[in-house]
Amino acid sequence: MTGEWMRTARLYVRLLGAQLRAAAQYKADFLVMIFAAVLSQGVGLIFLAALFARVPHLDGWSFWLVALMYAMVTVAEGIGSLLFEGTWRLAAMVNSGELDYLLVRPYPVALQLMSSAVGFNGLGNLVLGTAMIVVALCYAPLQWSPLQGLILVLLAGSAVVVKLAMNLATNAASFWLQGRNPVVAYAMHQVGELARYPLGIYPVGLRVVLTTVVPFAFTSYYPVSYLADGVDATIGLLTPAVAVACVFIAIWVFRRGLRRYESAGS
Amino acid sequence: MRPYLALARASARSVLTYRLTFVFSMFGLIFQLLALLAIWHAVIGAGQVNGLTWPQMKSYLLVAFSCGALVSLYTDFGMAARIQSGMVAVDLTRPIDYQKARLAETVGGVWIELLVAALGWCGVITLLGTIFWPDPVHLLLFVLSLAAVVPLKFLVVYITGLACFWTQNYLGINWARVAVVNLLSGALIPLSFLPSWFGTVAEYLPFAGITSTPALILAGDLHGLAAVRGLLLQVVWALLLWLLARATWATAVRQLTVHGG
Amino acid sequence: MSSASEPVIRAAGLTKVFRSPDKAPGLSGSLRHLVRPRHTNRAAVNSVDLTIGRGEAVAYVGANGAGKSTTVKLLAGILIPSSGTVRVAGVDPHRDRLVNARQIGVLFGQRSQLWWDLTVRDSLEVLRDLYGVSRTQFTERLDEFDEVLGLGKLLPVVARRLSLGQRMRADLAATFLHGPAIVYLDEPTIGLDIAAKDSVRMFLRQRVAAGTTILMTSHDLRDIEDVCRRLIIIDDGRIIFDGDLGRAKDAYARQRQLSVQVDAPVDLAALRAGLPEAQVEQGASTRELVVVFDRFAHRATEVLDALTRQVDVVDFRLQEPQIEDVVRRVYRGELLVLPPQGVDA
Repeated sequence: MTGEWMRTARLYVRLLGAQLRAAAQYKADFLVMIFAAVLSQGVGLIFLAALFARVPHLDGWSFWLVALMYAMVTVAEGIGSLLFEGTWRLAAMVNSGELDYLLVRPYPVALQLMSSAVGFNGLGNLVLGTAMIVVALCYAPLQWSPLQGLILVLLAGSAVVVKLAMNLATNAASFWLQGRNPVVAYAMHQVGELARYPLGIYPVGLRVVLTTVVPFAFTSYYPVSYLADGVDATIGLLTPAVAVACVFIAIWVFRRGLRRYESAGS
Repeated sequence: MRPYLALARASARSVLTYRLTFVFSMFGLIFQLLALLAIWHAVIGAGQVNGLTWPQMKSYLLVAFSCGALVSLYTDFGMAARIQSGMVAVDLTRPIDYQKARLAETVGGVWIELLVAALGWCGVITLLGTIFWPDPVHLLLFVLSLAAVVPLKFLVVYITGLACFWTQNYLGINWARVAVVNLLSGALIPLSFLPSWFGTVAEYLPFAGITSTPALILAGDLHGLAAVRGLLLQVVWALLLWLLARATWATAVRQLTVHGG
Repeated sequence: MSSASEPVIRAAGLTKVFRSPDKAPGLSGSLRHLVRPRHTNRAAVNSVDLTIGRGEAVAYVGANGAGKSTTVKLLAGILIPSSGTVRVAGVDPHRDRLVNARQIGVLFGQRSQLWWDLTVRDSLEVLRDLYGVSRTQFTERLDEFDEVLGLGKLLPVVARRLSLGQRMRADLAATFLHGPAIVYLDEPTIGLDIAAKDSVRMFLRQRVAAGTTILMTSHDLRDIEDVCRRLIIIDDGRIIFDGDLGRAKDAYARQRQLSVQVDAPVDLAALRAGLPEAQVEQGASTRELVVVFDRFAHRATEVLDALTRQVDVVDFRLQEPQIEDVVRRVYRGELLVLPPQGVDA
């Protein structure tokens, strides 16, 4: 059983490595994308810093904690682009029938899909985001203990999983829509951007949606809330459970979609 | 003039060709507006920050949203695709000026961008209550300033689009430009919030004319002579960028003819 | 049953129904469809029964849209049948997708399975890892394939720089790399020049000789004759012929062509009057004739009799019935009710 898991993981790295080799032919692209990613995320950070230079709190949250939320989304997006960028190709693959070959190979279709592209912008996001998290953790008013550190790692990991699973689930909508572009996933990605800021600033309806229907609040706000012992501290502990649920839902939706696949385009 | 009018009319009719990239960039803008409204609402409350009240901030953010929508339909990815596919060689054989032709197309597409912006205004005013309206004179200055956004933003997009003569990766160029313009135009945060030296420099850069100037005029924060000066600065920058675009184009085309398409 | 060997592919009542939206063009059409969706159902494959024995080479033929590719995709596990069953070497290809994937190879001629920006060698190496082929076996197979496919020269080339013929050869190597027992080929020679087609056919013949079961669709008649012994014809989702290639000729190739050399010029009009159902044409010279006739309308001796009544026949040649004749008519959509012998049951 563990052998099977190891093989799956090893092959994922192998498939991704092939994409990396392919992308290595376009070195200028690589630099441009990293530069653009750092610039985009950096500008967001400047915005936050400029805002907090005039106001001490945003809905009761201090700068470093908001920066932490912001950076968690940045890191999750970075991991998504770097390691799972292929997810975004599903719409095109369904539309063109390119998915056929994935279905006749002895490896899970979703994993073949997710490893079918590399987004170098993710490297920029990941480096900048991680740096932001480290700095924010140093300055944020948090109580530290070994247990707390362990929980931090668990929650942060779960937050990333929530984001990735949501991305897979929303991209799987392409099985039904069959358009060439992942419109639904892109719109949901933008919804996910709202999670960069404290949930409390949004109207109640939106807060409920971001907690339940599209639980992006678990990618940043709730975990940070737990760490900072904020208003929604207990909900924050649910993050791993939400992550597991999201993964199961994403796999279920993907499988349902795959049953609908009609292999068009030929 | 006639061929350019024809181009503008053609693009006005064919706006739906690029509807998908347009819809995508609108998603981004709408959620950015939503987040910014929520943030500033939480920050300002019933008081004011940096001299801006909540109604003024709503005016500011709506103008920022509109300026984001303007000049987003044509030029950007459409022009990049034409350069990357080598179709630009065909454009070069036409007896019309390339730069004017692209501007004409952009102007033709403005109506749908304004329509989307207007929907945003209606939505926000309905849901969040009235915004700040200045006196008629400043309202007129605002309209002129908003109109000046079109050539100014077009030129910034156009010049960055020419980067496609050198790189295949327009997506990265586009992201970088959006980030820079977002910050330096005041689309994310009014320039007065930036460190004072940085804000002052930014006020004199061309990017300020893409959001900050019209937004501050409508919000009543830029009035009288200062408003007129802002408007003039937009015009001066538009003229200067027009010449810069010409120079960049000349270099780019030399690149094309020397190295092939 | 066309084959005495043990069956490896079995399909019973295999049916695939596609549901396509009836949508008026444009935005308004899309909106109307959203409010009140209407669909049309179309059976691309309609109760197909199929049994293929181990080691058989089967040509699967039909006009565009007849259901060839859909059948292949059902057998490969890409599509789920709307009804009916498939078993490939004992497994349900869709439910046991991963098990099935190890025993089959698939090639879609229209689409490459190679990594676009990688060299052929890199692509094959990735597939080697995916299928868990050992290093020694990998090298052995590549050497073996190299003879016919000329792989050696292709290995260091990036896939996007390959010509179509080179691409297909590399794709064939990729399809057979893990030594699949069953291989489906959908148009493996499409768009290739004659030399490339020849090497593809030679390669496939070798694979069949080595015991691989092959099911292939093609528009090229020589592919079929060179590689396959059994022919299955599908029309509008239903199998209308399944049997030996030779028997297909006997059953369907009704056109006979008789080339005749005579010692004196012939009165064509009189000859035509005597053979109303046949087509009589002047050959290269006045002393050569070509007579094309339906063997159910005239017998060959009948045609010769008509000729000898007028002139002395110096030499004649009856052209063998061509499978082309059958298949071309299938593709033209003019096939013909079955002759009395009937289909294999």
